[in-house]
Amino acid sequence: MSFNEKVKKIMLVDDDIDLLEQHKMLLESKGYLIVTAENVEDGWNVFKKEKPDAAIIDLIMEEHDSGFVLCHRIKRDSFGKQIPVFILTSATYMTGFKFGSSTSEEKEWINCDAVLNKPIVFEELLQKMEAFFETKV
Amino acid sequence: MVVDDLKPQVLIIDDEKGLRLGTKRLLESEGFIADVAENGTEGINLARSKPFDLAIIDLKMPDLDGIEVLKEIRKIDPNIVCFIATAYASYETAIESTKLGAYSYIPKPFTPEELLLQLKKGYEKRLLILEAEKLKKEREERLLEIAYEKTRLKTILNSITEGALVVNKTGELVLYNSSALKYLDLHEIFIGDVILEILPPEITEMIKKFIDSNEYIPNSYSTQIELKPNKELIVEATCSPVPHADGSLAGVVTVIRNITEAKKVEDIKSQFVSMVAHELKTPVAAVIGFIKIILDDTFGVKPEQQKDFLNRSYVRLNGLLAMVNDLLDISRMELRKTQREIKELDIAQVLKSTLDFLELELKKKGITANLSIGCSDCHLMADQNEINRLFTNLISNAIKYNKDNGSIDLEIKRSGNYLRIRVSDTGIGLKAEEKAKLFQEFFRVKNDKTRGISGTGLGLSIVKRIVDSYAGKIEVESEFNVGTTFLIFLPIKENGQSSSTQK
Repeated sequence: MSFNEKVKKIMLVDDDIDLLEQHKMLLESKGYLIVTAENVEDGWNVFKKEKPDAAIIDLIMEEHDSGFVLCHRIKRDSFGKQIPVFILTSATYMTGFKFGSSTSEEKEWINCDAVLNKPIVFEELLQKMEAFFETKV
Repeated sequence: MVVDDLKPQVLIIDDEKGLRLGTKRLLESEGFIADVAENGTEGINLARSKPFDLAIIDLKMPDLDGIEVLKEIRKIDPNIVCFIATAYASYETAIESTKLGAYSYIPKPFTPEELLLQLKKGYEKRLLILEAEKLKKEREERLLEIAYEKTRLKTILNSITEGALVVNKTGELVLYNSSALKYLDLHEIFIGDVILEILPPEITEMIKKFIDSNEYIPNSYSTQIELKPNKELIVEATCSPVPHADGSLAGVVTVIRNITEAKKVEDIKSQFVSMVAHELKTPVAAVIGFIKIILDDTFGVKPEQQKDFLNRSYVRLNGLLAMVNDLLDISRMELRKTQREIKELDIAQVLKSTLDFLELELKKKGITANLSIGCSDCHLMADQNEINRLFTNLISNAIKYNKDNGSIDLEIKRSGNYLRIRVSDTGIGLKAEEKAKLFQEFFRVKNDKTRGISGTGLGLSIVKRIVDSYAGKIEVESEFNVGTTFLIFLPIKENGQSSSTQK
């Protein structure tokens, strides 16, 4: 992150409190400001209140597609901003297909900026997020 | 038919007595058997009464014309070789008589040599005719046999559930059965139709590989085809070449097998495996994450935080171990390989000992447990380990998901042919949508209250499997935030012993 930029606020949503805490520590060590939530409803409330610059959401929480549901809400109503949303999952072959957004149908359904595998490769996440912030400048 | 293989049978019809008897004598001396008739009517009657190889018919007779007699005799046996004997031989009569089926004519008067020569030739003809007849009959019999074979083949083909269809080298339909029509949804096809265009493209492609190579290569191609969308009909089509007797390519046989059900089972299994992989990966990811942070000096994790992370890793790994154990149990139940030891169990006693076993957990949360025994005989035939497991899972759930200082009510009583065990708690209760998913593998209620409660998500799925394996049933009543009641019905199988003690 360049020196003169405002500190970016990132929302983490995960129902696994261990992973949530770990991801928080990792991102904080890179200079991000972190807000957290543990489910879709929480996530939506935290999002409205905290207006984060990006969201990293676990896919499978209460439901198998909780992450996508929250992602849709954020994308639909993100106070006029383009908020990047990253979905985390260790279930890439859960439903027999690899998550990707190559077809328009998938793009519409998935609607997020990236699907990342768990355990996350932290560098990959950082790189994707930073690339997004850079293009916004 | 030749009555005597060695001796040709001759019928002589002539009104001229001298000639008639002279001929008879001549022929008998030459090894023929000869019968005589002095007029047409008598000759016809004689031909009806016994078989002849040859007939010599006089053209001019007082009662019947020789031509008429010829016609009648050929009606009786068309294969009798007939000669017309006439003194009035003329070209016209000869033509007419041969047109009507006479083999030849013998002009009168004839010398013995002339007659014998003619008869010998006639007899050879007769033998040829009979041989041809025999062959014809055999051929007809074989054709019938083939026709029968074909019907039999068709019946067999139609009785199998696999679809089968055969095309020749030019892609024309040669053979098919009703299952093939059903699977391929074909209504009007006929033998000889060129059907490659109307078959599913996957099958056509395989058939064409053989036809295009135009030689017999003993390979098979196989492919799975979704014939009806949404996995309603999935088949496996296998195409193999059919050789001629000389080894060249005759055609291609396609066998279509319905694998829809097998696919469904496969899908469920692979989905389960994916779910298991996901469930196993999550705690591993958590533990890896903690270790990574502890090992990374840039975080400068303090000793007490390290200890916290190690404790949490320990909990996650214990959870993982519990899950692996549960999965092994499920897999054993699936395989029905559990060595069951079915014996008479006192279920009231099982409940008591389960409560003892879980005493520590009860105390930790300050939960009181009440057991009410409503039957004098609470026995049933079951495996001790399975029944222990069943109630341990249920009661430990009633503890884990209870409120602090809550209570658990256990009741056992007879209900018709069942033992009914009720497990009621004063816990967090279930929402309707949660209740619906309760017995699904890995389903866990996730909310603020369940946070921190460890579990594999397999406990109730195991409960259901055990109850199902005893042909029992489970009912669940629950009110959100108030509590949940499980009713377990286990059938009492009256064995000989207990019924005899009951009388």
